[in-house]
Amino acid sequence: MSLKFYRRVAFGLSPNDKPDKDPLNWALNQLDTIPNLLWPGIIPTEKELRKKYGEWVYGDREVLRKKFKNDKHAYRKAKDELRIKTGERYFELNEHAIRHYQTKYSKQPVFERFWFFWGNHFAISEKDFLAEFSTGPYQREIIRPNMVKTFEEMVQSVTTSWCMIHHLDNSESFGPNSKKGMEWRETINENHARELLELHTVSPNAGYTQDDVIQLAYIMTGWAHKWDRKNLETGDIWFDQEMHQKGDKIVLGVKYKNDAKRELAKVIHDLATHPICIKFVSTKLCRHFITDEPTEDMINPVIEAWNKSNGSLIEIHKAVITQAYKHNESTHKFHPPEIWLMQLSRMFDLNIPLSSEKMNYSFSSKPNRRQRQLSWILREIGHSPYREKQPNGWSDFEADWVSPELLLRRFWFSSVELPTLVKSGNRSHDFILACLKNNFEDHENMASLIENFRFGTLDYDLGQKYGVICNLPGVLKA
Amino acid sequence: MNCTRRNFLIGGSTTLFLSGYFPKISFASMQKKNLIIISLRGGMDGLTAVPVIGDKRLKKLRKKLILEDVLNLNSDFGLHPKLEIFHKLWQTNQAAFVHATNIPYTGRSHFDGQNLMETGAHIPYKEKTGWLGRGLLASNIIGKGLAISLPMPLLLRGVPQNNNFFPSPDFVETNLIDQIYNEFKGEHNELIKSTLDTIRQRPLSMQIATDSDDRKKLALEAAKQLKDQSGPRVAVFDLDGFDTHAAQGGVDGAHADELEEVNKIVTILHENLGQAFDNTLILTLTEFGRTIKQNGGYGTEHGYGSAILMAGGLLKKSQVYTDWPGLKKKELFEGRDLNSTIDSRAVYNSAMSVCFNQDPEFLRKEVFWGDELPDLSQELFKI
Repeated sequence: MSLKFYRRVAFGLSPNDKPDKDPLNWALNQLDTIPNLLWPGIIPTEKELRKKYGEWVYGDREVLRKKFKNDKHAYRKAKDELRIKTGERYFELNEHAIRHYQTKYSKQPVFERFWFFWGNHFAISEKDFLAEFSTGPYQREIIRPNMVKTFEEMVQSVTTSWCMIHHLDNSESFGPNSKKGMEWRETINENHARELLELHTVSPNAGYTQDDVIQLAYIMTGWAHKWDRKNLETGDIWFDQEMHQKGDKIVLGVKYKNDAKRELAKVIHDLATHPICIKFVSTKLCRHFITDEPTEDMINPVIEAWNKSNGSLIEIHKAVITQAYKHNESTHKFHPPEIWLMQLSRMFDLNIPLSSEKMNYSFSSKPNRRQRQLSWILREIGHSPYREKQPNGWSDFEADWVSPELLLRRFWFSSVELPTLVKSGNRSHDFILACLKNNFEDHENMASLIENFRFGTLDYDLGQKYGVICNLPGVLKA
Repeated sequence: MNCTRRNFLIGGSTTLFLSGYFPKISFASMQKKNLIIISLRGGMDGLTAVPVIGDKRLKKLRKKLILEDVLNLNSDFGLHPKLEIFHKLWQTNQAAFVHATNIPYTGRSHFDGQNLMETGAHIPYKEKTGWLGRGLLASNIIGKGLAISLPMPLLLRGVPQNNNFFPSPDFVETNLIDQIYNEFKGEHNELIKSTLDTIRQRPLSMQIATDSDDRKKLALEAAKQLKDQSGPRVAVFDLDGFDTHAAQGGVDGAHADELEEVNKIVTILHENLGQAFDNTLILTLTEFGRTIKQNGGYGTEHGYGSAILMAGGLLKKSQVYTDWPGLKKKELFEGRDLNSTIDSRAVYNSAMSVCFNQDPEFLRKEVFWGDELPDLSQELFKI
């Protein structure tokens, strides 16, 4: 059994982790429960952060824009002050620390990898101020608790979450024959319905038509934020009967009787248990953990587990891990920059994220350089996790992550930035050798490549060593 | 202006839908021709960039967005004052515009639209390669694509060994690559290995550290590379921020800021390409235009028809090439958007045929699945 399994399904072994006698069981045992979030610093609730979001947009849109409508410099200054006061520049940094801390210290790193997967499957892409305030808590409070439930329950939670509804504009979707639709001459916004079909459940493989999208959008009308003058778009999600399209709807050939808010749960049930959905998501899971082009003999056991357990995510995850284990030697999976970074951080015990004390924020000045560092690195290596460009999330294909500059950024990080993150007690050559031995069968060959710098402990020497090690094929891939 | 649909084709000809094959290979000179695409993400408003002059309906629907001081193009169209370089080049037949054009996509979703503007297909996410990448491959031009962005844009995918330029904030020692290069063995490491090859072959000037948020520096380097006879033949720039739902403004609004960015890039390319500018085509690309009517936030919503801004010495002449659909309610797409009467892919296909010395018919089949795209090279470009 090769050590790469620990990177295939987790984040590698830290200097304190030892390989398990039974790696498969080690991994399978991590999936039954939800590990606590370990970050010792502040972990604000989604609701608290949404309130901050509200303060920010209200303060800017309703107060500052009016107050300084004739003075763009004064406006800019006041806006910067508001950013600081509401944490608009801070909370995303804190979320990255929470996320990274989990990958580094969790006793269930395999669970954390699945957390990344689902957060990306139900991606919130860069829009308005979601990354600043809401995507992090969405990952913690919507995605995470559902990972021990069924896929259907996950879809239900995601679809009615404030974050996804705001992200895909469902609050702007009015049934044209609803009370408000008629009064205000408004109609549907198809965004959320289309993505629910295309990205979250059945995929285009199901052959749905534009009519299906429209009908699903009708079913979804009414699920919106509760708007009021003070909170604007940051009010709680509710079902607004006056926005809801009346009448029966037909999606993928199934008729949904006029049943107000209950229609959505019914259609989600049908979508989330649709055989094409099961195949689509199972394939995606195998792609994430095994290989870019998974084969039927990898995917079918996952589908089987899905059907047998009625979509229990615990059982689905276990089937994926079993396949990843089975195909560990014969496949090679390229890791996107964030996972690569977190693996380096765990394997070499790097000095990120910043300690929770130092992450403390006073809301009176801009976050300092160290507080911004982790998020800055993620951005520079091309993978700021809560800022996907599109709602289909980050790609799982190697080809999307291999461009000259994206590879050069990895050389940059490992040879220039990483040495500044090596803890003072870990600068010796022997420390590197021990970490390599802990994680790689061919550690001797790896060591021979950095032998020339054996005696160097300056940042430059460390840069040469890590610049080589971190970009070897066996480190870029597992 | 009182023109209605199809009563004029400015600078156009009746061959719009009729032109057939003509041999081009014989015209191929030894001089390298460059094709530069600037992606304008978010939905560029063609009516802000190239406003139609004197249209009462537009004035009425866009009270807060009407431009003063538009630059003069001809009796029917003006130019946004921030697009100065295009105005300057217009005087020497080196700038032109295609108006009321778009990819054949009417769904108004950014994600689907941007996917389709890059793949050139009809169904979002179905194709995994871009029309430009396929065009290069079909023309057997390998390793000549340069993207000015961190990931490789979908637009350029489909042809191997593309390069990109988006330097990190600190210098990277490429000798590190030499030390590990031989470790990349076996078929599964081929992609990375060939990308490392590309890096190793990069000219010294690309091995710099800079602030990649500074588009000016990037454009300067791109110009340097494109000028080199053995350098890239295709470059792709990526700009976003055109999604101006609010504060779109007129001369100084949010859309103006974005147009200014386009202007900067084209200015730098023009200044630094020197003679090579004569053998260059610069074209913009966007996913859709914007609604005619301003919204409550003095912005506009997602629409359909837009415009293509063009510059370069390979343009035939200064012209606004359009089959103007009109702006009366019944002339608008779904009663709200400028219609698209020219499939923009026809412009891109024709541009590729000129720059890659390739038969447009052949490209149309290889790149766009034989979709009906009229050859516009004679109308728009020097051939």
